[in-house]
Amino acid sequence: MNTPIVIGIDAGGTMTDTILVDRNGHFKIGKAATTPHNEAEGFIASAEDAADAWGISLEDLFSHLDVVLYSGTGMLNTLLSRTGRRLGLITTKGMEDMVLMGRGLQAWADYSYSDRLHAVTHQHPDPLVPRRRTHGVTERIDQFGDVIIPLYEHEVAAAARKLIDDKVDAICIMTIFSHVNPAHEKRIAEICRQEIAGAGADINVLTSHEVRPVIREQSRLNSILIEAYATSRGRKQLRGIEDASKKYGFRYGVQTLLSFGGLTSINHPRLHETMISGPIGGILGAAYVGKLIGNDSLICSDMGGTSFDMGVITRGQTRIENEPLMDRFKLNVPTLHLDTIGAGAGMILKVDPLTKKVSLGPESAGSDPGPICFDRGGTEPTIADCDAILGRLNPDYFLGGKVKLQVEKARLAFKEKCADVLGVSVEEAAEGMIDMLEGDANNALRRVISGQGIHPSEYTLLSYGGSGPLHLAGCSKGIGFRDVLTFQFAAGFSAFGCTTADYMRRHSVSIQIDIGARADNSELTETANRIDRVWRDLERAAVEEMLADGHAREKVRTVPFLMMRYTGQLEDVEVMSPIPAATNADDMRKVIDQFETVYAKINHRVSRYGEAGFTITELGVIATADKVKPLLVKRPLGPSNPAAAHKGTREAYIGGRWHKADLYEMDLLEPGHEISGPAIVEHPATTLVIDPQDRVFIDEWTLLHYEHA
Amino acid sequence: MLNRPSSPQLLRQRLIESERLMEETGCYDGITELSLRAEDPLKFETLHTKLRAYCVSAREMARRISASPGVREVGEMVVAIYTPEGDAIALSNGIMVHVHTMSRFIKWMIRNGYEDNPGIRDGDIFANNDAFIGTVQVPDVMDVMPIYHEGMLVGWAGAVCHELEAGGITPGGDVALAQERFTEGLFVCAEKVGENDELRRDYIIRCERNLRMPIYWVLDEKAKVASCIDIRESVKDLIEEIGLDYWMKVSKEFIEEGRRAQLARTRQLTVPGKYRGHTFYGHVTEGKPGFQPLGDPNWLYNIPIEMEISVDGKITMDFEGTQPWGFHSMNCTPAGMDGGMFVTLTQHMNFEGLVNDGAWMATELKLPEGTWTNPDSEMAATATSWALLLPAYGVFQRLLSRGFLARGFVEEVFVGQVNSPMIEMGGKSQYGTQFGMAHFECAAAGSGALAIKDGLDTAYVGWNPESDMGNIEIWEQNMPMIYLGRAIVPNSGGAGKYRGGCSFISTWLVNKTDHLRLVTSEHSSRVFDNGGMCGGYPAPTCQKHRAVRNSNIRELAAAGKPLAHTTGIDPDRSDLEKAFEGTHEIVEGPYITAPHKEGDIFTHSYNGGGGFGDVLERDPVKTAWDVENGFLTREAAEKVFGVVLTEDEDGMPVPDLEATNVRRETMRVERLRNAVPVSEWMKQQRKRIERADFVPEVRKMYASAMKLSPRFAREFRTFWNLDDEFTFEAEKQA
Repeated sequence: MNTPIVIGIDAGGTMTDTILVDRNGHFKIGKAATTPHNEAEGFIASAEDAADAWGISLEDLFSHLDVVLYSGTGMLNTLLSRTGRRLGLITTKGMEDMVLMGRGLQAWADYSYSDRLHAVTHQHPDPLVPRRRTHGVTERIDQFGDVIIPLYEHEVAAAARKLIDDKVDAICIMTIFSHVNPAHEKRIAEICRQEIAGAGADINVLTSHEVRPVIREQSRLNSILIEAYATSRGRKQLRGIEDASKKYGFRYGVQTLLSFGGLTSINHPRLHETMISGPIGGILGAAYVGKLIGNDSLICSDMGGTSFDMGVITRGQTRIENEPLMDRFKLNVPTLHLDTIGAGAGMILKVDPLTKKVSLGPESAGSDPGPICFDRGGTEPTIADCDAILGRLNPDYFLGGKVKLQVEKARLAFKEKCADVLGVSVEEAAEGMIDMLEGDANNALRRVISGQGIHPSEYTLLSYGGSGPLHLAGCSKGIGFRDVLTFQFAAGFSAFGCTTADYMRRHSVSIQIDIGARADNSELTETANRIDRVWRDLERAAVEEMLADGHAREKVRTVPFLMMRYTGQLEDVEVMSPIPAATNADDMRKVIDQFETVYAKINHRVSRYGEAGFTITELGVIATADKVKPLLVKRPLGPSNPAAAHKGTREAYIGGRWHKADLYEMDLLEPGHEISGPAIVEHPATTLVIDPQDRVFIDEWTLLHYEHA
Repeated sequence: MLNRPSSPQLLRQRLIESERLMEETGCYDGITELSLRAEDPLKFETLHTKLRAYCVSAREMARRISASPGVREVGEMVVAIYTPEGDAIALSNGIMVHVHTMSRFIKWMIRNGYEDNPGIRDGDIFANNDAFIGTVQVPDVMDVMPIYHEGMLVGWAGAVCHELEAGGITPGGDVALAQERFTEGLFVCAEKVGENDELRRDYIIRCERNLRMPIYWVLDEKAKVASCIDIRESVKDLIEEIGLDYWMKVSKEFIEEGRRAQLARTRQLTVPGKYRGHTFYGHVTEGKPGFQPLGDPNWLYNIPIEMEISVDGKITMDFEGTQPWGFHSMNCTPAGMDGGMFVTLTQHMNFEGLVNDGAWMATELKLPEGTWTNPDSEMAATATSWALLLPAYGVFQRLLSRGFLARGFVEEVFVGQVNSPMIEMGGKSQYGTQFGMAHFECAAAGSGALAIKDGLDTAYVGWNPESDMGNIEIWEQNMPMIYLGRAIVPNSGGAGKYRGGCSFISTWLVNKTDHLRLVTSEHSSRVFDNGGMCGGYPAPTCQKHRAVRNSNIRELAAAGKPLAHTTGIDPDRSDLEKAFEGTHEIVEGPYITAPHKEGDIFTHSYNGGGGFGDVLERDPVKTAWDVENGFLTREAAEKVFGVVLTEDEDGMPVPDLEATNVRRETMRVERLRNAVPVSEWMKQQRKRIERADFVPEVRKMYASAMKLSPRFAREFRTFWNLDDEFTFEAEKQA
C-alpha cells in the first residue's frame, strides 16, 4: 500500500471518525472519543488509530498528506448549548424587538407533524443577543435601495460606546434592505471601528450585507448572529487542528466542508456556512460513486439512530435549500438540500393503551441510555430491540463485540409494552414495528423522487449509516430503483464522501430584474448585458478568493447561475446557466427556457404562468478547483461462491417466520461473490439483512448491490 | 359498508346511504368494526401516514408556486384527501379550518346533481368560495378534483388558499365594509373551472379582470391544481399497490377510527358534564364613511356557549342565546363554524391520532337559526367572520381547558386564541401599478397563557397553529409603505400568574404612492373579546389606530431630529404626537377613511392573549425580565402585579422582593376591602337591570338575545330573579 494522501475527519458529538485514503483508493478507518475542550486531541488520537491500522507513524502520515479535511459539530454544539460569545447588535431603529419576536415560525418549524398542530408545545428559541444589548439607529433604505431616512450617525456612536462599555466580543450590524444598498451598514461599521479603536478595545464588527447579502432580514440577522456567536471558538479549534497537523509534518492548510458541498480553507470568512456540513458528505460521496458506476441520478440515504436523511442528485444536479433551519433559527445559507424524517434504529416505540395507536419516536433512546438490549438503563423499547429480538442483530458482534446485546431483556419489555397491548405475538409486533419504520422511510423516498419529476428507474439508491443496511430491504422495496447499493464502509460513508469534495466558492447577490412576458429583442439584449456584468464581477471575486487560497488560476472553473421565478412569485428556482456568458437576446431566451424546464420539473406543468413575466432575484457564480480524490479499487470479478466469507448460520425472523439465515463477514466479501437471502452480512459497525429470495452481488469496485426478488 | 367497487350507485345515493348508516349505527358509514385494522394494525397505520405525507408534500409544492406572501411566507393553505362522498381521510398541516369546509363543498355538489350537470369527470377542477356552500369567507378559495380509478370515482383531492385580494368593495380579502354578499368580491360558486387538468382560459380571464391583484389568486389556483394532481396521482399509485377493494374499505375505516380516537381522547382528557362560558364582541363604525345605514353603526354581541361532554366522549357545543345575524361582514355560516371547531380540536386533542373528519363526527354544533352562527338569509356577508369566530372558539378552548384541569392535565390548559386585527390595502403601488393586498403579519398574535407558563408572544393565531408574521423585506416588496417600526406592545398580554402572550404593533411610512387605501377589520373595542382563566385577566381589547397625515418626517429626518417608531406607553399623548407635526388621527375600531399618500404615517397593532392565575402569584423575577424586554411597563408591574422594581448598575430593572411582598400584602388587603358578597353584588346589579341602566348597545344586545331565544330569556330571568314578563326597553322599541 502507498501512504495515504487524504485524511477525512468527522468529529461528532461523541466520536471522531477518521478515514485515510491513498492514491489508489485504499482506505482505513480510525476512531477516538471527541474532545470538545480541545478537538485537536481527539483528532490526533483518531488519526493515530487509523495510522496504526495502516501501519505507519503519525509523522509518516502527515508528512505525505495532500489534504487534511476536518468537519466537526463543535460550532453547532456551541450554538446548541448557548456557550458562544457575548454579542451586541445595531439595527434599524424600530426593529430592536426582532430578536425577541423572531420569525413566529421559529416557535414550531422543526417540530413533528403532531407537535406543529399541538399549539401548547410551541416556544421561541432563546435569542443569541439580549434585547438590552440591541440598539436601534435611525435610518431607512427601501427595496429600491433609495435612502428614505438618512443614517443618524450620532446615534451610532452612542450605541457603539454603550456596547464597548458592555464588553461585547462582537458587534453585529443588520439594517433593512442592506443587501440592496449597504451604504448605511458600511457607515455604521466604520463608526463602530473608530469607537472601538478609540477605546482601545478588541471587538469584531460584522455586517449582514457581507455575511449574507440576500433578502429576508430575519434570516440575514440569524446568519450574522450565528456567525458572530458560534464560529469564533470553532475557528480557534480549526487552527488547533492545523497546528497539530503541521506539528507532525503537514505542509498545507487544513480544509473544511461548506454546507453547499465544497471545500474551503479554515480561514473562510463565513464559517457559519460550514456548520450544517456533516450529512452533506453523503451527497458528495454519492456523486463520486455515481461516476464510478456510470449513473448521475442518485439518492443517498443515511439511517442512523434518530433520523433518515435523504439527498438527491438528479441527472447530475443537486437541489440547494436557501432557507434551512439551524437550531430552529431560519437562515438563508445555501445548503445542499436534504430531506429528513425521524426514522432510525434508536426510535422509541409506543402503543397507546387507550387508542391502540402505534407511534414511532420522535424521541430516540440515543446512545445513552440506548435501547433496552444495550443494558445501559434503557427501559423503552426501540427498533434496535426489535432487530435484536428477531435475530437480525448478532448479540455477540455488535460494534465488533464491544457491546453484548441482552435480547431476553428487550423481549420481555417489548412484550409487555407493545405486543401484549396490541394483542399479537412478540415476533409479529416486532416485525410490524420494523415494517412501519421501513415503510416510513420507503414512503419518504418515494416522495423525494416524485418531487424530481423523473421515473424511479433512473435512480440508484445508496444506503449507508450505521442502520442503513440493516433496513435496506424494506426501505427500497417496490420503488423500482435502477440499482440499490451499500458499502463495506457504510458506517463511515459520510466521512468518505467529504474526502471526495472539490474546492469551491459560491458568490451571489440579490437583484431584481423583471423580464416582461412580451419582452422584445432589445430588452432581452439589455437584460443579458446587465446580467453578464454582475456575473463577471462575481466571478472575479470568487476567483480572487480561490487564488488567495493558493489555487492556480488555470485550475479554477466557474459556472454562473440564477435564481428565477415568474414575476410575482415568492419562491425561486435555481437555474444553472446553460451558457457561460449572456450577450444577446437568444442567450436570454435560452436562460428563460432553462428556467421553465427546471420549474416544470420541480413543480408541475399546470403551474407555469409565463404570461406573468419572469423575475431574476439572485445572480451567482460557483467557482471550483479539483482536489486529489480517493479512488475505489477496481478488481476483476472472481468466483460467485462466497464460502470464504461464510461464518455460520443464525435463526432470524423475516417475513412472518423464522429462517435459518446464513451469516457472512462483510469485510471478507470479494468481487464476484453472490449471496442469496435469507442471509445476514455482518460488520463490526453495521449489519446487512438480505430477505428470503433477494440477493446481493459484489461488483468489481467491491460495492454491494442489493437485488429484490 | 358502502362503496364496494361493484356498487354502481350515483354519488348522491351513496351519500344519502352513508348518512343513513351513520344515523342507524352511530358509526361512520355503518362501520361498526375496524376489520382492516384488526387484521393488520401496522399496515393500517402505515397507510394513513402515507396519505398524510402525500398531503404535506403537495402543500409544500404549492407553497413554492404561490405568489402570495399569505401562502408562501405564512402558510395560509391546506391540502386534503376525501372519500367519494366528501369526508376527509387525511390532511396536511396548515389552515385546518378548511378540511371540513371543503367536505361541505363536495357534498353540496353531490346533493345538487353535479353528476348530471355540469358532470364530474376525470381531470375536472371545481372551485368554490361561497361560504353558504362551504368555506369561511370569500378569500378562502378552494379547488377540488375527483380521483378516478378505472372509470370509478374513488375519492377527491382538495386544496384551499386564503387569497390576499378578493375584488370586494374595499381592497384585500377580509372586506370589512361588506354588509351584504354583493360587496364581498368575486364569487366562484361551486363552479367547474377546469377540465383535463387545465384551468379554463375564460375562468382565468374572469379572475384577471375582477381582482385588483390577480396574480395572487391565479397563481394560487395553479398551485392548488398542481397539488391536487400530485395527490391524485399518488393515490392512484397507492390503489394499484393495495387494490381498489382495500382502498375503499380502509379510507372509510380511517375516518371511523378518527371518530373513535376523538371520543377516546375526550374521555381521557376531560370530565363529562356541562361547561359554560361567555364572551362579547363590540363593534364601532359610527360616522365612518362607506357604511350603509342597514344596521346599527355600533353594536355589541354576546356569545354564550354551553359545551356538553357526554360519558362516551362526544362534545356538543350550543350557541343558544347569541345574537341575530346582521348587516355586517362578521356573520358566519355553519361551514365556518365547523371550521373553527375543527381547527381548535386538532390543536388540543386530535393532533397525533388519525387527523381527519372522524374528529368532526365525534362532535356536534347546535347553531340556532337566524343567529350570526347560522344566518337564515344567504345574502348575509361573511367576509370577516373570524372576528366572531375567534372569540367564540377562544371560549371553546377555555371550556376544554377546564376539562383538562379537572382531569389533571395541567400542561394542556390553554387560555387560547384571540382576534388579530387585519390590515388590507390597495390603490397605486410603489411600482406605479394597481394593487391590492391583505397584510398577513396578523398571523402572529399573542396566545393565551398556559397553566404552566406564559403565552406565546407574537407567534400564535387560532386559525393556523403554524403561525408567522413573515419578513419585513418581503411585505415591503408588496406594498407602498415602509416600516418605521415593528415592536412588542407592552401590557398587551393579559395579566396573571402566567401572562398572555404579547402582540406587536407596526408603524409604517407611506412611500412612493399618491393613493393608498388602508382598511382594517376584526377589532373588538370597548369590551374584552376574550377572557382569562383561573383569575387571570382577560386579553386586552384592540388598540386604536393612529395616523399622521402630511407629516413632517422628511424635514425631521433631514435635520437628524428624533422620530417616533411606535406609539409609546403614554396613554394621553402618543410618541407620534410628540414627534411629528401634521394632522393626527385617532380611530377606534375599523379604520376606513380617505386614501393616504406619501409622507403619511400609520400604525396598526395586533392582540395579545388572556392570562392564567392570580397576578399576585407571578414570579417577580419574570416580571422584571418582562419590563426589561418591553413586554410590560414599570407602572403595570407595580400597579397590576404588585412587583416593586429597583435598578441594577446598568439601569435594568430588578425586583425588590421584600418591598414586593409588602406591596402585595397591601393589595390583598385592598382586595378584601373592596370585596362585597356575591349576593350583595347581585342585588345591586339586579337594580341596574330593572332600570335597564346600560349603554344602548348593551340594552339592545340583551333585548335581541332574549327575543331570539326563549331559553336564554328564561335563564336570564331566573338567574337575576326577575319576573317572567321582564324585557328590556330596547326590545319594545324594536
